[in-house]
Amino acid sequence: MTDRTAAATPDSVLVRRVLDGDVEAYAQLVVRYRGRYARFATHMLGSVEDAEEALQDAFVRAYRSLARCEDPERFGSWLFRILVNRCRTAGARRGRRERTIVHDEIALRDAAEDHPEESVAWREEIGRALDRLPTDQREAFLLKHVEDLSYEEISAATGVGVSALKMRVKRACDRLRDQLKEVYSARE
Amino acid sequence: MHESDEVIERVVTALRRDVVAFAPDFDARVMALVRDEPRAVPVRGIWAWMTRPRTVRVTPIGALALAAGLAGVVALAARNDAPAPTSGVAQAPAGMVIPASSSTQMMEFVFVAPSASSVAIVGDFNDWEEGGSPMRRKNQPGVWTITIPLAPGRYHYTFVVDGTEWVADPLAPRTIEDDFGRPNSVITVGDATT
Repeated sequence: MTDRTAAATPDSVLVRRVLDGDVEAYAQLVVRYRGRYARFATHMLGSVEDAEEALQDAFVRAYRSLARCEDPERFGSWLFRILVNRCRTAGARRGRRERTIVHDEIALRDAAEDHPEESVAWREEIGRALDRLPTDQREAFLLKHVEDLSYEEISAATGVGVSALKMRVKRACDRLRDQLKEVYSARE
Repeated sequence: MHESDEVIERVVTALRRDVVAFAPDFDARVMALVRDEPRAVPVRGIWAWMTRPRTVRVTPIGALALAAGLAGVVALAARNDAPAPTSGVAQAPAGMVIPASSSTQMMEFVFVAPSASSVAIVGDFNDWEEGGSPMRRKNQPGVWTITIPLAPGRYHYTFVVDGTEWVADPLAPRTIEDDFGRPNSVITVGDATT
């Protein structure tokens, strides 16, 4: 999850500059990873507001512990591990408070005509089904299928073994399918 | 395996199409918080200074711990700027607040692990360096100790047994999870508000 843009300053260089006293260099890391991780945090927490808070907290904690980042070239992966943990903490704190995700918060691409499956009602049903998943299953499903990480990468980010992750993903898929198949069929 | 079935594919497609836009001032808010943080610097230099050899006498607290049947850790404090004590000094369970002092205090951490081949301590005070700071065996079997000079403040720490197992202080009243979900103990030296 490091930046692959040829013209971009490598993460390791930016981390070194920050540790050498150039605090403003950290802003480039914020810009680089804010957009990349916003979607995962929002899907996990069900609210852009909560996602902003979790990601902000992750950035500050990462800065605070920057000297402990053992592999600055992989700052993004290290930050992501912190974010996953912050989302867990935020989710536990929030408990079962209703997820407040609304369409104004997520800019759905205006492809509804080409992709009727992405109607507002369908997207709402997905949000509700996602919300009903246990946190560990939601986390594993999003990381595997939406963020497209390998099981090894997910294991590194979550500290959970690959076998357990595969089981969580399978159960998440089973639950989502059970909850959404009727809605999906009714649309056709 | 049904992961590739149509419903799941449609769910994944919809979720991947989500484009989340944070508030325009998000970056500025993060950077304002970052600027308020202490400067992020490696602390190896400080650690080298803190751990240079110096003469401090401490009570054989490991024996006390064993006599009390404690299977954990005890921290012991001595004023760094006071003459070396010749008898017992104040002691407090790890995680307790040591009386306020403006100077560095010597904290002796004691961990009882009879079957361990090695025990180290890692924490804020040694930059969580890989492998930690090795603890030494006391005279009593299974008792491992290390004395660390700590300025007033709040520190997170944990023990590393045999190089792999992270063990929180069993006597610390406060244990929290670090950013990676591992247990950390908390010790406060001096003013609890620092």
